[in-house]
Amino acid sequence: MAAANQDSSRSQNTRAIMGFLREHAPFSNMDDRHLALFADNATLRFFADGDVVLSPDDGVVKRFYVVKQGRIRGERQNEKDDRLETTFEISLGECFPLAALIGERPTQTLHRADGDTFCLSIEQDAFITLFSESDTFRDFCLRGVSSLLDQVNQRIQSGAMASMGSSNTLDTPLERYALRNPIVCSPDVPVRKAVARMHENNVGSIIITDDNRHPTGIFTLRDLRSMIAKGEAPLDTPIQQVMTSEPCRLPAHADAFEAAMLMAEHHFAHLCVVDEEDHLIGVVSERDLFALQRVDLVNLARTIGTATHLRTLVSLRSDVSRLVDAMLAHGADSGQVVKIITTLNDVTVRRVLELNLKKNDPGIPFTWLTFGSEGRQEQTLLTDQDNGILFQTPEGMTEEEVREKLLPFAQTVNKELAECGFTLCKGNIMASNPKLCLSEREWDDWFIRFIDASTPQNLVYSSIFLDMRAVFGPTAPLHNLLEKVLTRIRKNALFQKMLAGNALQRKPPLTMFRNFRYLNDEGNKHSLDLKRQGLAPFVESVRVFALANGVEVANTLERMDELARKGVFDPKDANAWKEGYSLIQAIRMRAHQEMLNQGEDLSNFIDPDDLNPLDRRILRESFRQAQRLQQKLEVTYQL
Amino acid sequence: MLEQIRQWLHNRRGGPVGSHDTDNLPNPKTPGEQLLSDARLIVLDLETTGLNAAKDEVIAIGAVAIRGGTIPLEDQFDLILRRPELDIRETVLIHGIGPEALTQGHETEDALLHLLEWMNGDPILAYHSAFDQRFLEKTLKAQLGYTQSHTWMDVADILPTFFPDARTGGKGLDHWADYFGLEVSARHHAAADALATAELTLIALNKAKKEGVKTLLNLSEKIKYYRRLQNMHRF
Repeated sequence: MAAANQDSSRSQNTRAIMGFLREHAPFSNMDDRHLALFADNATLRFFADGDVVLSPDDGVVKRFYVVKQGRIRGERQNEKDDRLETTFEISLGECFPLAALIGERPTQTLHRADGDTFCLSIEQDAFITLFSESDTFRDFCLRGVSSLLDQVNQRIQSGAMASMGSSNTLDTPLERYALRNPIVCSPDVPVRKAVARMHENNVGSIIITDDNRHPTGIFTLRDLRSMIAKGEAPLDTPIQQVMTSEPCRLPAHADAFEAAMLMAEHHFAHLCVVDEEDHLIGVVSERDLFALQRVDLVNLARTIGTATHLRTLVSLRSDVSRLVDAMLAHGADSGQVVKIITTLNDVTVRRVLELNLKKNDPGIPFTWLTFGSEGRQEQTLLTDQDNGILFQTPEGMTEEEVREKLLPFAQTVNKELAECGFTLCKGNIMASNPKLCLSEREWDDWFIRFIDASTPQNLVYSSIFLDMRAVFGPTAPLHNLLEKVLTRIRKNALFQKMLAGNALQRKPPLTMFRNFRYLNDEGNKHSLDLKRQGLAPFVESVRVFALANGVEVANTLERMDELARKGVFDPKDANAWKEGYSLIQAIRMRAHQEMLNQGEDLSNFIDPDDLNPLDRRILRESFRQAQRLQQKLEVTYQL
Repeated sequence: MLEQIRQWLHNRRGGPVGSHDTDNLPNPKTPGEQLLSDARLIVLDLETTGLNAAKDEVIAIGAVAIRGGTIPLEDQFDLILRRPELDIRETVLIHGIGPEALTQGHETEDALLHLLEWMNGDPILAYHSAFDQRFLEKTLKAQLGYTQSHTWMDVADILPTFFPDARTGGKGLDHWADYFGLEVSARHHAAADALATAELTLIALNKAKKEGVKTLLNLSEKIKYYRRLQNMHRF
């Protein structure tokens, strides 16, 4: 064999460990020098069967482990019946704990050796070196925890970590590209002088600060333009009289995504970046973000939000789908993409309504409601209209008279939304349907009947009408309505139980032995339906808990947050479920992107064999989390 | 660490051997109240030209260190000695070191001096340690005139001390490695055997800790007690 002198620069044991690593992801795709870096810095540890390897009580995780022999199980105490639950298993060649290590927090789960186990470990400094030097390793580590929810943890907190992330992701903290030493002036400076300062520094905005460097206002070139156009104030006006007060601000650790969403929502071009004491640190402009993203999100949202003709809106829809393609291609997180689509859809719906109100205002105060996936803010590009109207009946009018005025308006809006790409709802769940254009009292009656008469059809509808959100108009009426509906559901144990039974109809596609259960077993291709078998068990189970516990929000992830806050879900369970849900969503969106690239029609079916081993493992674990969530439902409702 | 050794050896190579101050070599430590949880232990394996300490020679030294119940791989020793004059035809089949590798090895004196410094007088563990002890002490004396005795412990004793009921089917390193399901990367390679021996030691130390063995002294007494028991059974 003569191995001894074959590669004399590395010792036998180092080479042996490299050989071991090479057999497992992500190491199998890593360069030899990175494997050597790992091996040279590794420590071999032994844990006898039942030994604790990592505990939430150990404090912030400082060590990265690979199982070299044996197995580790994640363990959680089930408070209800005082029984230990295994939440995950980590076997030969697998790594842990990624999320805690990257989030720089303690682990949430007790890790225990399952049989005699050897692990290789590296300390945080070696981990950081590897993370920063190896793209493969970094991708692996980040992907393992890349759900929207875990972002708070995953968002890289320490400076050391911050400087090593890839430079153009939406996760980049703002402080990385906020303009340092922003151009500022005090409130009493005349506009002329402030503009001169902007000109000298070649910037489009100036921040007005008080003596303590707290931002009190912002003045931009657009403000100057409108000031001159209006001709109301001379150029020696103190700037505080013409500035925009209380400028929008974000903390330095917020990321580019939050900044982009805030800008898209409010149509700002500039944001102040502040520290914890609200001192100004810098300014981020949309151009700064675009330079990084090459994604024209803010501009697109503004163009949609200010479009003056329907045909402009229609033509902009293709920009939306192009934007989504680009974001997926740039590896944006599934949660982010879903949220962006929802934001842009909302902006479009609002603009269609605004344009119609301008042309032909029926003169009735109303709230535009959306239902189903749009209500949950979980839309993808291909979306049906599911909407309704909640109106206030003006003094001296009957509800029928109001409907006479509103229905033609709603009809036009539905038709125009269809032109914008929101397909007309086949079930006629649209605002132009007289049954869905109702006053608060009528909606309330409608829901009473809906809840009392738990027909099979109503249960099907529950996924639509019980996920409801206001997109346009005052939100208070919807809030009042929801309060009544939720109280009624809380009191109606039978309705809850029927909803729960309905939510258990769709089982995650796993066999008893934790293998995938396929829809078809013929032919070479296996297939799984990621939406109906993967996401639906989460969405539907969470809805039951949310409604039964008075949670008003409709978004599945936000519902889980709220349920954890209310103590209905164990926070650790909630995290695991949010992560599972988001990871399935991520795999689904990546699959969609591949279908788009291949020019295929989008479908939710995938063959797990087409996934890489890591994604397969993630998928299996996510399905297992869905099973655990359904088990909770079964226990709660004794089904 | 290895890089330092390499650098050090590189600097030393060709230099006069006598320039090493043998008086300042670390003194062997005796097993006392040092806590096992932070003591450093050397786990060593030698490859030799044969089994007879009187005429056979050391050709490779592999060693790892155990610190605080773990094996930090940066702290290891893996060298082939430069002994081209040795006849190794008999054992070449077992350990796989051919004459070519030997001539590319390191100057014996340099390697041994560095081994002493690297070991830092810490207790040495080996599987069937009497064999390694005889060869190493003979070589140290012959090459360097070094005669101090290190503390040696036999892993072949430590294991049955803590796992008296293990049905290993034999007393060899392979038996214990199989029993605990270890994979040895390259059997009869000094460093790989040393690592396997160290892994077995970790398993034993884990058990020892649970049985209340805290110090090196506790450990060596426990092993002595086991040996006495064995001898009693023999008679």
